[in-house]
Amino acid sequence: MILRRLLSLYGLLFFVFVYAPILLVVIYSFNANTLNMMIWDGFTLDWYRQLFGMETSLTQSATFVDSTDQLWGAVRTSLIVALSTSVFSTVCGTALALAVARYRFRLARFYRTLMTLPMIMPDIVLGIALLIFFITIGMNLSMLTIIIGQSTFLISYVFVTVSARLAEVDTSVEEASADLGATPAQTFRKVTLPGIAPGILGGWLLAFIISMDDLVITYFIAGTGNTTLPIHIWGLLRRGIKPEINAIATLMLLFTLVIAAAGLYFRSRRQK
Amino acid sequence: MTPFDTYPAGVFPAGLQDRTPMSSPLEILDARKSFRTPEGGTMTALDGISLKLASAEFVTLLGPSGCGKTTLLRTISGFETLDAGEVLIDGTAVTQMPAHRRPVNTVFQRYALFGHMSVARNVGYALEIAGRDKREIRARVGEMLELVGLAGMEKRAIQQLSGGQQQRVALARALAAKPKLLLLDEPLSALDKNLRQKMQQELKALQRELGIGFIFVTHDQEEALTMSDRIAVLAHGQIQQIGAPTELYQTPANLFTADFLGESNLLPVKVAAGRAGLCDGQSFATARPAGEATLLLRPEALSVTPPEDHALSFTGTIRETYYTGTDHQIALETPAHGTIHALLRSGSALPGLGAEMTLHAPAQGLHLIDEVAA
Repeated sequence: MILRRLLSLYGLLFFVFVYAPILLVVIYSFNANTLNMMIWDGFTLDWYRQLFGMETSLTQSATFVDSTDQLWGAVRTSLIVALSTSVFSTVCGTALALAVARYRFRLARFYRTLMTLPMIMPDIVLGIALLIFFITIGMNLSMLTIIIGQSTFLISYVFVTVSARLAEVDTSVEEASADLGATPAQTFRKVTLPGIAPGILGGWLLAFIISMDDLVITYFIAGTGNTTLPIHIWGLLRRGIKPEINAIATLMLLFTLVIAAAGLYFRSRRQK
Repeated sequence: MTPFDTYPAGVFPAGLQDRTPMSSPLEILDARKSFRTPEGGTMTALDGISLKLASAEFVTLLGPSGCGKTTLLRTISGFETLDAGEVLIDGTAVTQMPAHRRPVNTVFQRYALFGHMSVARNVGYALEIAGRDKREIRARVGEMLELVGLAGMEKRAIQQLSGGQQQRVALARALAAKPKLLLLDEPLSALDKNLRQKMQQELKALQRELGIGFIFVTHDQEEALTMSDRIAVLAHGQIQQIGAPTELYQTPANLFTADFLGESNLLPVKVAAGRAGLCDGQSFATARPAGEATLLLRPEALSVTPPEDHALSFTGTIRETYYTGTDHQIALETPAHGTIHALLRSGSALPGLGAEMTLHAPAQGLHLIDEVAA
């Protein structure tokens, strides 16, 4: 009995350990105390109002001097990058997963291993490698280099997600389709694609979220004019933790949760 | 030419007699195929197989797993290509034709139904692919579902169906395109025994009604004997024997067929001067040329009371008996021939275990095989 209680306690502590910091960020984002966010001083939405450029009761000194234009510029950059990278990675990753799973060719297993490698590669190594690569081929750092750079490892994530789904789709269903007169293209559209659609969608959302929040690799390959949201936040932090950051973090958290929930919803709907 | 042009629109032909005689629905000429094994060797799956369907026959490919029967079926449907040989469907060579252009359809072992589509879309898939109009597809789907006993189930999801119902949907889907030849890859193996027997009868009736050729793959000899017009027994990539079920069962050409189909007692004999002699001195008349051979004695040919054309007798002690309801299965330990298996109608009085007993065989029930067991 005691052992069981201890185990429950351990479980509880584990979740506190994991989620308490995140919960604190959310709570602090509503704290009216402008000087010390650790001390609760009453509820306010001022930090959010500040982010959206609305009237606040805050004095200038409590906030960052720069306007929120920079912040919204970073959000825009991040969204453009995440959208392009995730779409590009989803197309390439899905095509690769299909090739490795459905066609017999030399070195197929080698390619499978090769595709999972970028996922375990240390971010900092990948970042430096990409930076050196872009400089070597004489490419100026820009939004394009961020998109290319992030795609190199996001393709792997899509590849793994779609491959897992493909393994569950029985090849005999594809044979049945061909047997009934469908061309390979028709079979892909009517049978294979609906079967792996949840995997593709899941891979796309995963790539989108990872792209939105990647700091290390992007930091190396982003040009000066292309600040993504994580890089912008990193910049803000270097001047001290200001309460607005809590509001930004909370909004990012909300955004990620919505996307993840959407992914789970589509998945469960498809599997019915 | 599409598979749909074969028959007049609307219905299947009433039967064979209505069709003008034409080329064989299926002809296979010296088919050869080998695979590379993962260990680096080669495995011969088809070693020179020739097969011709005389008409709209129900032909079963029977053999143990690994005998090449599934490979043969897949070369007909187009999922495997032959190393050498020809496949002709309805007189047209299709050896190099991809699967989706061949006028045959398959009922797959585990049905391979499209889980994301309704019953109606599954059954109408081939017609949808062929670009038929919606009204025609709907009519045809209704007709097909009625044929397989699932009328009114159009809107059901595949997951809502039982195994037997899924089986019927797979059958309806394969028949909807009016194939010239229906291929069935062990379609009944996943069903329980009662349902399997029911489906066996239905399949046979359906084949007669539709008047098209069925190629049925199975490793179940009972299933093969029940349904087929002809059975091709396969082993080691070759057809061991092909013929009507009774022919294969009563007069098998080789030891493999004799052993694979039903229970058998195989006894070595020496033929000389028109008589075949057993090792214990008994002999019977035969027209075979002199030499060594094997006597096939089916367990049900043996009886307790000597028959009129009594030819051989076996005396021994009863080692095992099993009662199956209709019959007694007996294992008789004889000094000269080892264990002799017999199947006696229940009702006849049986001595107990360990008792001595004499069984008799009629001359009519004796069949000689020109092959000697190794």
